[in-house]
Amino acid sequence: MRSLIACLKRECTEQIRTGKLMFLGILFTLFGIMNPAIAKLTPWLMEMMSESLAQSGMVITGVTVSAMDSWVQFFKNIPMALIAFVLLEGSIFTKEYQSGTLVLSLTKGLPRYQIVLAKSVTLVLLWTAGYWLCFAITCGYNAYFWDNTVAQNLMFSAGCWWLFGFWVIGLLVLFSAFAGSNSAVLMGTGITVLTSYLLGFLPRLTEYMPTLLTDGNALIYGAADAEYYTASLLICAALTLLCFSAAIPVFRRKQL
Amino acid sequence: MEMLRITGMRKRFGDKAVLNGLDLSVPEHSIFGFIGKNGAGKTTTMKAVLGLLKTDGGEITVNGEPVEYGKTAVNRRIGYLPDVPEFYPFLTAPEYLRFCGEISGMKRTECESRSRELLQLVGLAEESHRIKGFSRGMKQRLGIAQALLNRPKLLICDEPTSALDPVGRKEILDILQSIREQTTVIFSTHILSDVERICTDVAFLNGGIAEIQGPISDIRATYRQEEYLLETEREADLCDLLTFFPTAKKSEGNQLLIPGPAIPELLRCLADRHIPILRLERAERTLESLFMEVTE
Repeated sequence: MRSLIACLKRECTEQIRTGKLMFLGILFTLFGIMNPAIAKLTPWLMEMMSESLAQSGMVITGVTVSAMDSWVQFFKNIPMALIAFVLLEGSIFTKEYQSGTLVLSLTKGLPRYQIVLAKSVTLVLLWTAGYWLCFAITCGYNAYFWDNTVAQNLMFSAGCWWLFGFWVIGLLVLFSAFAGSNSAVLMGTGITVLTSYLLGFLPRLTEYMPTLLTDGNALIYGAADAEYYTASLLICAALTLLCFSAAIPVFRRKQL
Repeated sequence: MEMLRITGMRKRFGDKAVLNGLDLSVPEHSIFGFIGKNGAGKTTTMKAVLGLLKTDGGEITVNGEPVEYGKTAVNRRIGYLPDVPEFYPFLTAPEYLRFCGEISGMKRTECESRSRELLQLVGLAEESHRIKGFSRGMKQRLGIAQALLNRPKLLICDEPTSALDPVGRKEILDILQSIREQTTVIFSTHILSDVERICTDVAFLNGGIAEIQGPISDIRATYRQEEYLLETEREADLCDLLTFFPTAKKSEGNQLLIPGPAIPELLRCLADRHIPILRLERAERTLESLFMEVTE
């Protein structure tokens, strides 16, 4: 247990001293501010564009915005934040394979599973803190400018996206356990998510794909019931657990 | 008592067989020179001992405990210094040693006092900068400190001096020599002068097996040549002597290598002809000449 805490402390020190933590903090804060800002600026932008739109036959009358527009922006922007997160943290294992820093830790008797566990916990904590920081900022601005109650199933839809992030982190950890390079890890994670997204277009499979959890807009508009997401939620949770638990035996066999 | 025993170890990389049934026995409290050409399998052997590399056969025991690939429990008794040790560049040397102490299960107070003692030993006690600013020599010295932190019974050093300048090399060799009482050291290298300077035992790795192994004094006695080295003042005398002793071989400068049985005759010849000599001594077999003979 002490060695696991030592690994976690070392991971945290790395995040702080290499500036990654600050970068993630700024990134999620900016995304959090951007959502209500875009919603707030929409009437002004429409007014600016009204002349050119009028020439093509479109007439803009009074544009009203609500918290709903800001939440729509939130679900549009959070995939970009997740991609930035994966690009930044995708080398958490491979960088150590390439530099050889893990070898000395292992020759001190550190069990291999603790390395996987410490890195996984670090990623999950960073994602959780960043995601909910972004959510809290958007929520705060929305409450100040408008009224959050217009969005239905808000916490549920936000929770779905949060869990989807866990699955992506699970994939990243699993691919890192057997791939040797950062590009292979990013490619493996990206292709798996893309496959799930494409399979989601097949009507019979839509409700079973983890990527369904990213469709927060349908939930907040009330176009879909929360129950419809149950299968996807359970499958996503099971796949996440599977990824994390499979990464340990895979990493144990990895030649360093 | 044996600190490390390797029996019949085999390892193949694709078509290339690197180890072909290696047997090795390292006695306790020895400084064991593990000698071989580049690519002979020294690093492969060391990584297998550390459980970092899967072998194709054979057994390894450290202090009587079997080593298994992927499991790191035995490593708590081993210290490892790679040829180019890599550390977390964002930590300072004391922070890195604290991290090592925590992951190897040392008590906090013991870890702190041991870190101070070792940083003093390797000359990094006053260094407060992060590791990213360290030179190669400083990293090698920190490598020794981390390897000795948990008082290992076996210290494995993989070519610790090959990347260093003469001053750095001397520092590392002095440190290794000073810790012999506390631990057993295996020291792989292809710099034979380093081995002659500090090692008590040696093994020559060639063709995937240990061709020769044992205490250096025993190996020297076994392979000692019955030859004598004669150095004359004038080159002309050397040419004369060569005509009298056709079995003698000319060496560097005004030197001759003369077989042992010819010595009484040589002494008579020198006296009769009043040939001035600079020295006459028994030719000691160097590790280098032995290594060349083994690997040819």
